[in-house]
Amino acid sequence: MIPKFAIYVVKRGVTLLLTVVIATYMTIIVANMGGYVDEIIKSDLYLSISHNIRQNPVYKALNETQIRWLINATYTNELKKIGFDKPFIYRSVLYLRDALTLSLGRALFISSDSGSKSVRMIILERLPNTVLLFTTTQLLLFSIGLFAGLFLARRYGSLLDRLSVLFAPLSSMPGWFYGIFLILLFASFLRLLPYGGMVDVPPPVDRLNYALSVLKHMILPVMSWLVAYVPINVYVRRTFFLMFSSEDYVELAKAKGLPESLIQRRYILRPTLPPIITDFSLTLIGSWMGAIITETIFNWPGIGSLFYIASVMFDSPVLVGLVVIYAYLLALTVFVLEFIYAILDPRIKAGGI
Amino acid sequence: MSSIKQSFRTLLIYRSALIGLVIILILVGISVYTIFAIPYDEATKLWRAGERYWLDNPRNAMPSWINLFSTKKMPETIVLDSRKPQPGVSKALIPVFDRITRIKVEFSFNYEYDDFPSELNLFFNSSFSSSSPQLTIHWVKPNGEDIVLKSLLVAKGEDRYYISNDEKLAKELRNAISKKINGTIEYDIPLTTLLFALEDSSILNPNTVKVMKGNYKLWIDGIAFEASVNLDAKLVVYGKVHGWAGTDHLRRDLGIALLWGTPIALSFGVVASISIAMIQMFIGAVSAWFGGKIDNLMQRVTEVFMVLPFLPILIMISTFYKFNIWVLLMVVIALSVFGGSVKNYRAIFLQIKEFPYLEAARAYGSSNLRILTHYLIPKILPTIIPSIVLSVADFVFLEAALAILGLGDPLAPTWGKIINDAYSNGALYKGLYYWVLEPSLMLAVTSLSFAMLGFTLDKIFNPKLREI
Amino acid sequence: MDKAHLTVKNLVMYYKTLKGEVKAVDDVSFSLLRGETVAVIGESGCGKSSLAKSIIRLLPRNVSTYRGVILFNDLNLMELDEESFTRDIRWVKITYIPQAALNSLNPVIKIGDQMVEPLILRKKLDKREALEKAAKTLKTVGISENFIHRYPFELSGGMRQRVIIAMSLLTEPELMILDEPTSSLDVLTQANIMNLLKSIRRSLKLSMILITHDVSLSSELADKVAVMYAGQIVEFNDANAFYHDPKHPYSQKLMESVPTLRKNKKLDFIPGAPPSLLNPPKGCRFAERCPYAFEKCDRDPPLVYLNGNFYVKCWLYVRE
Repeated sequence: MIPKFAIYVVKRGVTLLLTVVIATYMTIIVANMGGYVDEIIKSDLYLSISHNIRQNPVYKALNETQIRWLINATYTNELKKIGFDKPFIYRSVLYLRDALTLSLGRALFISSDSGSKSVRMIILERLPNTVLLFTTTQLLLFSIGLFAGLFLARRYGSLLDRLSVLFAPLSSMPGWFYGIFLILLFASFLRLLPYGGMVDVPPPVDRLNYALSVLKHMILPVMSWLVAYVPINVYVRRTFFLMFSSEDYVELAKAKGLPESLIQRRYILRPTLPPIITDFSLTLIGSWMGAIITETIFNWPGIGSLFYIASVMFDSPVLVGLVVIYAYLLALTVFVLEFIYAILDPRIKAGGI
Repeated sequence: MSSIKQSFRTLLIYRSALIGLVIILILVGISVYTIFAIPYDEATKLWRAGERYWLDNPRNAMPSWINLFSTKKMPETIVLDSRKPQPGVSKALIPVFDRITRIKVEFSFNYEYDDFPSELNLFFNSSFSSSSPQLTIHWVKPNGEDIVLKSLLVAKGEDRYYISNDEKLAKELRNAISKKINGTIEYDIPLTTLLFALEDSSILNPNTVKVMKGNYKLWIDGIAFEASVNLDAKLVVYGKVHGWAGTDHLRRDLGIALLWGTPIALSFGVVASISIAMIQMFIGAVSAWFGGKIDNLMQRVTEVFMVLPFLPILIMISTFYKFNIWVLLMVVIALSVFGGSVKNYRAIFLQIKEFPYLEAARAYGSSNLRILTHYLIPKILPTIIPSIVLSVADFVFLEAALAILGLGDPLAPTWGKIINDAYSNGALYKGLYYWVLEPSLMLAVTSLSFAMLGFTLDKIFNPKLREI
Repeated sequence: MDKAHLTVKNLVMYYKTLKGEVKAVDDVSFSLLRGETVAVIGESGCGKSSLAKSIIRLLPRNVSTYRGVILFNDLNLMELDEESFTRDIRWVKITYIPQAALNSLNPVIKIGDQMVEPLILRKKLDKREALEKAAKTLKTVGISENFIHRYPFELSGGMRQRVIIAMSLLTEPELMILDEPTSSLDVLTQANIMNLLKSIRRSLKLSMILITHDVSLSSELADKVAVMYAGQIVEFNDANAFYHDPKHPYSQKLMESVPTLRKNKKLDFIPGAPPSLLNPPKGCRFAERCPYAFEKCDRDPPLVYLNGNFYVKCWLYVRE
């Protein structure tokens, strides 16, 4: 007898995989503008072959018709070599297969710092930078939000609490917007901090100074996100905990004379962990998409700015690579979260979903 | 429905909502005024007009109200046109001998500002048949000194002399003044400074150079070799401040873009919010009500969209198609309708579906559509209204973000576009803060007002939050 | 004369809301002896839950006034600081069972673990010992012992209520306050719980304050009855005396609305609605709905003592 839970797991897994497939395929179509980019590649190829052949002294002796024939033959040959002789729709499926197996191919225009055109290299080179910046930011946001939220929920009606409600609308402006101001103030006006980038140019040689330089460059981007998102975070958590503080079982816990810290831990935090963790994980993964605009404004060499560069240059292999990685990450997270949910909430573990 | 009216009345008690509402009304007022005062086609025409239209404005000028706050009075632009009778302008065409006409145009003005003009240009409009009149341009400083700036032959029709760009003249003047005060001017002193500065040792240092205040005169002494000749001239002494908003690198009055940005931002934000929320709600309702296969399908589609990276795809499409802003709006809506909120709405509808009065409605034979529109949707409106108001700010910033990245409608005068221009022209490096701050302020005010209103609405409409 | 177990004198508790100050408990007095049960009867919104919570000092976040005298075994609870109150009284001597037991148990923690929390923390028992005691107590309330390993969602409403009762017995309290213990349960379960309470009361010599809107239910357990209306107690009397001869007009109306098994009674109801606790009327708060109202009722009636501590708050009984 296959347990009900296992069937559910398999079903979810398959559905999520399907989601990744469809999302990737859609991106492939869009990134190639339905084949238009390939047309550009083809005409570029034709022009360069044509140019090469005409410039080549070996072929000087040939007449026009012969040259034309030669160009066309070489062109057709090259096309076949790179598989472009088949229509786009057919190729798009091949791209899909490659993307899903993470064999991401070579970029069209972009190369990595080390000169490689491998999409995987390009992405891997920049991924740690994004992870560094945004994981730090998200961890800070999460901790501040959680502690401030718990703290304020206890002090409902106090001045601090009312301030937190008052300041919440400040988060209607995105992080990059505050970023512009911070750059204006600290970089342009006060000349205290750098305009952007991840590290001083030229980068310091020894480890410690390098790390310090990176830290210095992290200050403004992290600050811009904290200023932008701490207000709403604190407000949401505080409201969340307030709502859960008025639950009946919290009332009884108080009647039982349990100490405040125990009530917070067991009666407020524990039951609310599933949604909080889900929230955090999804936000974290989302932030790895590197808040494209923030990275671009601060010139941070992460995958967000890579996204922007690749979008503008229509470097479709890079775009598809980024999207498929993100899709897998997200699907995986959602999948794992459902497990965690079940562990944390006994009501689900028992089989009722 | 009456409970919604009552809720709105309660709304007015909250101060922050009131402030937000007032600001929104002001913005709407500005939009309405702008739409009527400067119709859209005219505005876009002006905005694209190029230098010809804006030629009388200074480049990168700060807003004039800056002078209220600084001890140093920044100059405003002075325009003297021989075609328009003004005090200080005189023109005379004096026939001398047969077929020789003496031309004399005089511009005199008082210069009392503490800072130097940004540019100095002279424009001519002449009509003659055969040979160009010969003009000599004189400059008279308040101390009486008369300098010849240039002698030139003026072309027929429109011609110009960009005085401040005259490198040769600048070098000559610099040497002349250096000799006069027995020192050498080491720094790269602009011509406008040379023409307006106090000629003493203060001129040697760019931080101490002072304006010679008083009456200045530019006069044109010309000879034409025919009888029927006409020469008109316009002298523009470009200031460093202009209007209530300043100007940009193309001399355009930023006020126009700031004003027009308002209705564009408001309509973009509001239309996007409302349409997306309504469509999402409808999808959620259909999904919950019909259940089964339809529900399943909608849920899967929603999940696919949730995984799709919205912003990158938007960027890609924008780069390729260079949209006009209203088409961009459509694309944004299309990409957002299957977003995550559909799941939330569906969850609420699933709850409402079980309510007994719905069973009653079905029992007396209401059609599905009627139940949807008369029962389900009004029940959900109180939850949806706050989220609509709150998401307006997001869409305003989305449009601004695309514009800042250079991907928006290149012709629409929006706040984001101003910031984009500012960034591309190095506003932050050149210290032209107003260029960035003004549109940013508009963005901030707009988003804050909607957010304040939205948060309060949330407090009122969300029953769980009511006592909090 | 027996010494009173609990004496409440002039207890006041107000709290602030957006709409104004709610005078939930407005000068309330009553008392009970060891082992007795006082039933506090009243409509919803009259302040009975607030009264219960005020005794055990579970005050709302926005409390504005809290004063009076609560003598428990001759100790004035109001004079204790929060720490001493929590350490010595709350859930140690006096336990409180809130309304709506359905959601009163922490959904993510096992029943046994929840039950023994006060034991481990206050009485410093070790976990195994405490769980054993918990299991035994579950048995006394009629629930199988191995339920200490289960989660609340696995139990029905009635069972959860029993668990909470068991939980409140663990620390061997002297006084138990029950707020509408059976209101969310079906009639059969109700009867079961009431029987349970009767047996516990006898065996443990427990004093009880039973809060309910169900007049007939209260008669099963009550030794004394306090009728609450709009934040005040309008009649406090011995149970037998009360059920046979209710004095206050409101009490009379309450009794008339209760169906009796054999008599052919015409059921009555009380027209109108109770006054809001935000702005209670200046005079007698029941005057508006009282069939016997007269001019004196414009002023707040005094407490007219019947015998001993019993009283009725009504102008009709004031002898000139």
